Amino acid sequence: MSYLHFSFYAAFTLSSLGLAFHRTHLISALLCLESMMLSMYVALTMWPIQMQTPSASILPIIMLTFSACEAGTGLALLVASTRTHGSDHLHNFNLLQC
Amino acid sequence: MDLPLVLTTSMLLTLMTLLTPIIFPLLSDNLKNTPYTITSTVKTSFLISLIPMTIFIHSGTESVVSLWEWKFIMNFKIPISLKMDFYSLTFFPIALFVSWSILQFATWYMASDPYMTKFFTYLLFFLVAMLILIVANNFFILFIGWEGVGIMSFLLISWWHGRAEANTAALQAVLYNRIGDVGLILCMAWLASTINTWEIQQISTPSQTPTLPLLGLILAATGKSAQFGLHPWLPAAMEGPTPVSALLHSSTMVVAGIFLLIRTHPLFNNNQTALTLCLCLGALSTLFAATCALTQNDIKKIIAFSTSSQLGLMMVTIGLNLPQLAFLHISTHAFFKAMLFLCSGSIIHCLNGEQDIRKMGGLQKMLPTTTSCLTIGNLALMGTPFLAGFYSKDQIIECLNTSYLNTWALLLTLLATSFTAVYTIRMTMLVQTGFTRIPPLTPMNENNPAVVAPITRLALGSITAGLIITSFIIPMKTPPMTMPTYIKMTALLVTALGILLALEISKMTQTLILTKQGPFSNFSTSLGYFNPLMHRFAATNLLSGGQNIASHLIDLSWYKKLGPEGLADLQLMATKTSTTFHSGLIKAYLGSFALSILIALMSTY
Repeated sequence: MSYLHFSFYAAFTLSSLGLAFHRTHLISALLCLESMMLSMYVALTMWPIQMQTPSASILPIIMLTFSACEAGTGLALLVASTRTHGSDHLHNFNLLQC
Repeated sequence: MDLPLVLTTSMLLTLMTLLTPIIFPLLSDNLKNTPYTITSTVKTSFLISLIPMTIFIHSGTESVVSLWEWKFIMNFKIPISLKMDFYSLTFFPIALFVSWSILQFATWYMASDPYMTKFFTYLLFFLVAMLILIVANNFFILFIGWEGVGIMSFLLISWWHGRAEANTAALQAVLYNRIGDVGLILCMAWLASTINTWEIQQISTPSQTPTLPLLGLILAATGKSAQFGLHPWLPAAMEGPTPVSALLHSSTMVVAGIFLLIRTHPLFNNNQTALTLCLCLGALSTLFAATCALTQNDIKKIIAFSTSSQLGLMMVTIGLNLPQLAFLHISTHAFFKAMLFLCSGSIIHCLNGEQDIRKMGGLQKMLPTTTSCLTIGNLALMGTPFLAGFYSKDQIIECLNTSYLNTWALLLTLLATSFTAVYTIRMTMLVQTGFTRIPPLTPMNENNPAVVAPITRLALGSITAGLIITSFIIPMKTPPMTMPTYIKMTALLVTALGILLALEISKMTQTLILTKQGPFSNFSTSLGYFNPLMHRFAATNLLSGGQNIASHLIDLSWYKKLGPEGLADLQLMATKTSTTFHSGLIKAYLGSFALSILIALMSTY
C-alpha cells in the first residue's frame, strides 16, 4: 500500500496497542486515545481526496467534535478518579475485585 | 385291612402326639407341661411310630400324603405333602427312641435348672421340626423343617446365655447354617424355574442334571452337616447343655444335610462331578476332624469332632452313590453317638462340671455303668465287628476299596478311620483307666434310674441296631460280595493299627517327658488354624469389599465424582486460572480487548 495508508494504519495500531498495554498512568491511555483520534482524522481527510467524493469532506470535522467531547469526558473521569484514589495509578483501580 | 391307610394314620398320629404338649397348655390352665409329661409324650410317640415301621417291614408299604395346597401362584403347586417311605419310616422310631432316652436323661441333668420346662419345650420344638424335615416330600416343607432346626439349635446352644462363649457359639452356628441355606435356596430356585415343582418325586431329569443345583445342595449339606469349610460351628456348639449336644449335634440335626442329599440322590446319579465333589469333600472333612480330635482335652469336644468325622464318612458314602448305606450309617451312628454324649454328661455332672479329660481317670471303678456303656459306644464307633457301627462303617470301607474312585479320598478315609481308633482309645484310657486325677470331694452318684435307664437302653441299641436294621431292609444296590482278603480286612487292620499306635503313645505319658510342640501337634491343637484365619479374613474382606463397592464405588464415585461434583471440580480448575483476568483492573480488561481484536483479525485471514 502507499506510504500514506501505511502511516496512518501504523499510527492507529500503535496507539491502540498503547491504549491496551499502558503500564501505570491512566493519562497515557487517554493520550493514546487522542493519537488514535488523530490518525483517524488524517485517514478521514485522505479518504474523500483519494475517492474523489467531496461530499464526505465534512466527516473529519464531525469526528473532531465528538472526539473533543470524548477527551473532555476522559479527562473528567481522570480528575474524578484522582480525587477519590489519590493518583491515577492503575493498580489502585480495583474496586470491582472481591 | 387297608395298610396304606393305617400307615399314614399312625404316622400322622405320631406327629400329632408330639404336638399335644404345645397345644394343650394353650387350651386350658390345668394342662401345664412338666418335663415328665413331655418325656412320656415322646415315649408314646415312639411306641406309636413302631406301627408304621412294622407295617413297612412286613409288606413294604409306602405312601405319600398330600394335604392342603397353598395356592398363591396359579401355575405352581405347593401342597403340604408328606412322604412315608423307607427313610422316614425307619428314621422316625430311631429319632424318637433316641429323643426319649435323651429327654429322660435330661430330667436328671437339668434338674437344677429353674427353666427346665422351657428347655424341654425347646427340645420338643426341635424334634417336631426335625421330623417335619424327615417326612417332607417337597422342598417347601423341608425348608420349614430346615429353618426350624436351625433356629432351635441357636436357642438351645445359647441356653446359658449369660456366658459369652455360648452366645458366640450360637451365633457361629446360625451364620454357618445360613451360608448353607443359600445353597438350598439356590437349588429350590433352580427347581422352581426349570421343572416348575418342588416335589421331590417329580424331580428327575432325563439326561444329566446340570451341576448348579447340585452344588447348591452340596453347599447346604456342607453348612448343616459341618463338612470342611463350614465346620467350626460344630465343636463350638458344645457350649450347649449335654442333652442338646446329644440330640442336635450328634444324631439328628447334623444329619439333616446328609438326609437332604439322600432324598435328592436321583439327581446325583449321572453327575460324576457332583459325586466326586461329595467324595473328596467328605474325605477331607473326615480326616480334618479326626486330626483335630487327636489333641483335644475336652471330652465333649472329642465327641463333637468324632461326630464331624462320621459326618464326613457319610458324605463319602453319598459320593459313592450309595444313599441307603449312608442312611444306615446315620441310623446306627445316632445310637452310639447319643449314648457317648449321655455318658459324658453323666461323667461331667458326677465330677461337678469337670470336662477336661486330663483331670479324669480311673472312673471305671467309680462309675461302672456309665463307663461300661462308654466303652461299648467307643467300640461301636471304631467299627468293632458285629456291634452297630460295624454294619455300616465296614460296609462303607469295603465299598470304598472296591470302587473306581479317587485314590486320595480313599487314603484320607482310611487314615481317618485309624485316627478314629487313636482318639477313641486315648479318650477311653484317660477317662476310665489309670490313676485317678479328680479332686477328692465329688458328687459321684449314678444310681439314679433317670441316668442309668437311658444309657443302658441306648447301649442295647448300639449293640443290636446294626443287626436289626440290616436284617430287615432290602439293599437297593448290590453290596460288593467278593474281594481279596486283605481288602476285606482293611477296616479292621487300620483300626487295629490305630489302637496299637494309641497304646504305644500312651506309654510315653508315663515317662514324664515334656511333649515338644511340633508343627503337627500345633496344627491339631489349634484346629487347623481354620477358625482365626477364616473368621478374620472372611469378615474383613467381606466388609471392606462391601465398603469399597457400595460406598466408595457407587456412592462416592459414580454418583458424586462422575456426576455433579466432578463437573464442579473441572469448572474449579478453569475458574482458578481465569480468576486473574477478573481482577478488576482496567489493564487486564484492555489487554483482553486487544487479544480479542487480534483473534478477530487472525480469523479473517
